[in-house]
Amino acid sequence: MKLAAIVTVYRKYSHGQHIVDRFLEGYGWNGQHHHPAMDLVSLYVDEVPADDLSRERAARFPAMKIYPTITEALTLGGSKLAVDGVVIVGEHGNYPKTPKGQVQYPRYRFFEETVKVFRDSGKSVPVFNDKHLSWNWEWAKSMYDTSRSMGFPFLAGSSLPVTWRIPSLEMPDGATVSEALTICYGGVDSYDFHGLETLQCMLERRKGGETGVKWLQAYRGEKFWDAMRAGVWSKKLFDAALCRSHTLTPARAGFNDIFPSMEDMQRLIMDPVAYQYQHEDGPLATMILASGLVRDFNFAATLKGRSTPLSTQMYLPMPDGRTTLASFFSPLVRHVEEMFLTGKAPYPIERTLLTTGLTAAGVDSLYAGQTRLETPHLKIRYQPSAGSTYWRS
Amino acid sequence: MPRIEDFSVSRRGFLIGAAALPALAQEQPKRIAIITTIYRYLSHGQHMGDRFLVGYPHEGAWHRPDMKVVSLYVDQKPEGDLSASRAAEFGFKVYPTIAETLRCGGDKLAVDAVLIIAEHGEYPVNDIGQKLYPRYEFFSQCVKVFEQDKRAVPVYSDKHLSYSFEKAEKMVADSRRLKFPMLAGSSLPVTWRLPDVELPLGGQIEEALMVGENGSDDAMDFHALEGLQCMVERRGKGEHGVRAVQWLEGPSVWQANWSKDLLAAALSRSDTPLGLTVKDGRTQDLLANGELQKLVPNPIAYVIEYRDSLRATMLNLKGALQDFNFAARVKGHGILSTQFLLTPEPNVTYSACLMNKVEQMFSERKAPYPVERTLLTSGIVEACHKSRGMGGRRLETPHLAVRYTPPAVSQYCRT
Repeated sequence: MKLAAIVTVYRKYSHGQHIVDRFLEGYGWNGQHHHPAMDLVSLYVDEVPADDLSRERAARFPAMKIYPTITEALTLGGSKLAVDGVVIVGEHGNYPKTPKGQVQYPRYRFFEETVKVFRDSGKSVPVFNDKHLSWNWEWAKSMYDTSRSMGFPFLAGSSLPVTWRIPSLEMPDGATVSEALTICYGGVDSYDFHGLETLQCMLERRKGGETGVKWLQAYRGEKFWDAMRAGVWSKKLFDAALCRSHTLTPARAGFNDIFPSMEDMQRLIMDPVAYQYQHEDGPLATMILASGLVRDFNFAATLKGRSTPLSTQMYLPMPDGRTTLASFFSPLVRHVEEMFLTGKAPYPIERTLLTTGLTAAGVDSLYAGQTRLETPHLKIRYQPSAGSTYWRS
Repeated sequence: MPRIEDFSVSRRGFLIGAAALPALAQEQPKRIAIITTIYRYLSHGQHMGDRFLVGYPHEGAWHRPDMKVVSLYVDQKPEGDLSASRAAEFGFKVYPTIAETLRCGGDKLAVDAVLIIAEHGEYPVNDIGQKLYPRYEFFSQCVKVFEQDKRAVPVYSDKHLSYSFEKAEKMVADSRRLKFPMLAGSSLPVTWRLPDVELPLGGQIEEALMVGENGSDDAMDFHALEGLQCMVERRGKGEHGVRAVQWLEGPSVWQANWSKDLLAAALSRSDTPLGLTVKDGRTQDLLANGELQKLVPNPIAYVIEYRDSLRATMLNLKGALQDFNFAARVKGHGILSTQFLLTPEPNVTYSACLMNKVEQMFSERKAPYPVERTLLTSGIVEACHKSRGMGGRRLETPHLAVRYTPPAVSQYCRT
């Protein structure tokens, strides 16, 4: 089995490096160093900065050739599609921003050039797209529609749904959820997407499955604190999620782990942002970016029949001084491999279609002065994978 | 719930309906004494002691122990000492001696439990590389008060019991003689595991390996060895002790009698491979790519032969990785492996996992796991350092015939 990888940039700790390296070098999995049973034979790199690693990798792995265009990477320089799977990583690199502040990563362009080869060859193969589908909702929807109309397996999204959970727990099948919340960190049009995928991979397992989202409202700065004080999202869930963090900034000098008061948090959180939205069947969800307070992803939900929230941390062993290896890419790559081997996406692309739309709606709401936006286009219904797909082994 | 029934029966005249629980809640909070070497930011004394002052995260809530720290002894007050400010803020007193701390300045034992944290601070190092923390000395002074005042209360002693097995044995004997619950040891046995793996109770372990990174002193190697011990103690008919140990250092470590496939499994669990991963982010099969020997100029192995013939090895691969990973071959299960997750500073939430066990012992007056685990580990640490002092000679350890039964229920953090 042959694969092509299409990446924006291949430098240390870029997503391109994390993902493509795992196909080339293998990675720790199930207690051994696992080598995917497939060959990554072609690579297209959109930007080649001074610290590029793609040339070094190509020299060390001569079976992988670098091509100057996406078409050539997919056809291996010939006239027809010559690979059995495509890995698209459009994250990191220097790309212009929209007036709303979204980085215009060329995922749609990469995808379109890929499907053009599929069309010209009269043949399609499975595609993985790292992170959200596109910053532009119309384009994202078009990518989804194309994959359905052409009938090829399509997987996308974040590592958050598939990484370790501490504790190791799943949303009980068919749970009735009234509210869910995630506290994480990072910026708008960036880690917000990871926070939304954290929420969605849990919420989609509720009773009846996913029904889509009715509306979204973003809160930022003073409006965030007003909403927090007014109880727009549950303080009980907020506290429960915070108590799963391993990276709580100490609110007081001399204390290493102390629960912050509201005043502490107002001092600690830089540029607080919340996206709150309601699912068609009722559950309320809130994604909170609390940079300055935490550096991890924590989830809590109110479930019918439970007196205390269900809560966990989606654990990223982050190489920002805490680790050297972003091992959370391992379960992601493992699922991508599985799609290539079985011809079936291990979890639904609709999850990432929805979180892509939510990310864009969050940006739009912020841009529109933090107003509530109706989201009829996000009436996306789907059923979750039958089995759990997070890292447990 | 016999306690509640007994209580409600004895108070029947005063209780109406289901009033037993509120009545119990009116019990006075347990009074805690903290005996520590130093109380400075991020010292064990601070991050463990503070859990009883400001609470800690536990099972998705901020848990505040229903206990009150009433007295503190600090052996040294280096720059950055927090003992006076904590005492002022939380309303307890710092006493000049351990006896006064336990008696809160009075003439009788005046606390319900004692937390001994003798880690960090300036203490001499002996000629076999062990730092001479005064754990036995602190503990003995507590025991003296218990004897004089004819009452004993639960004691937690942080990390290994003593650098000396003889002293460690006396500590455990004292707790048995005076019948007070005692807990000790490292956070490693109780912290989160990635993955959430426990060895089968009563299983047949064929070989075990722990890979850690430490300074080859007796501070970090104790953690690695107790992590190893909490796994292997679940084998067969429980723990029967150690027959011999050997300290290996340098190239002979690579040729020693431990399984490469166990090392491969343990390394596959690491999130901190060094060398080429630090250079350019790549994943590595450190065994297969030949980097391991380049990265670790001075490997150290602690080889442990148990009395039931189990062979276990703790490899100190300083330079290759920075986390603690375990692998064992278990009959019928193949190789099982996991990482003992040491969560980052400053929260070091693993110490909350440990203090929750201590709190449990304080309130239930029963140790959730046997102190003999730490007794044996203390003895292994000392014996390995003695072997080192004898040029790495294999050392028979008849004194380490420590027998105990592991807890039936897993005690590490998983909820």
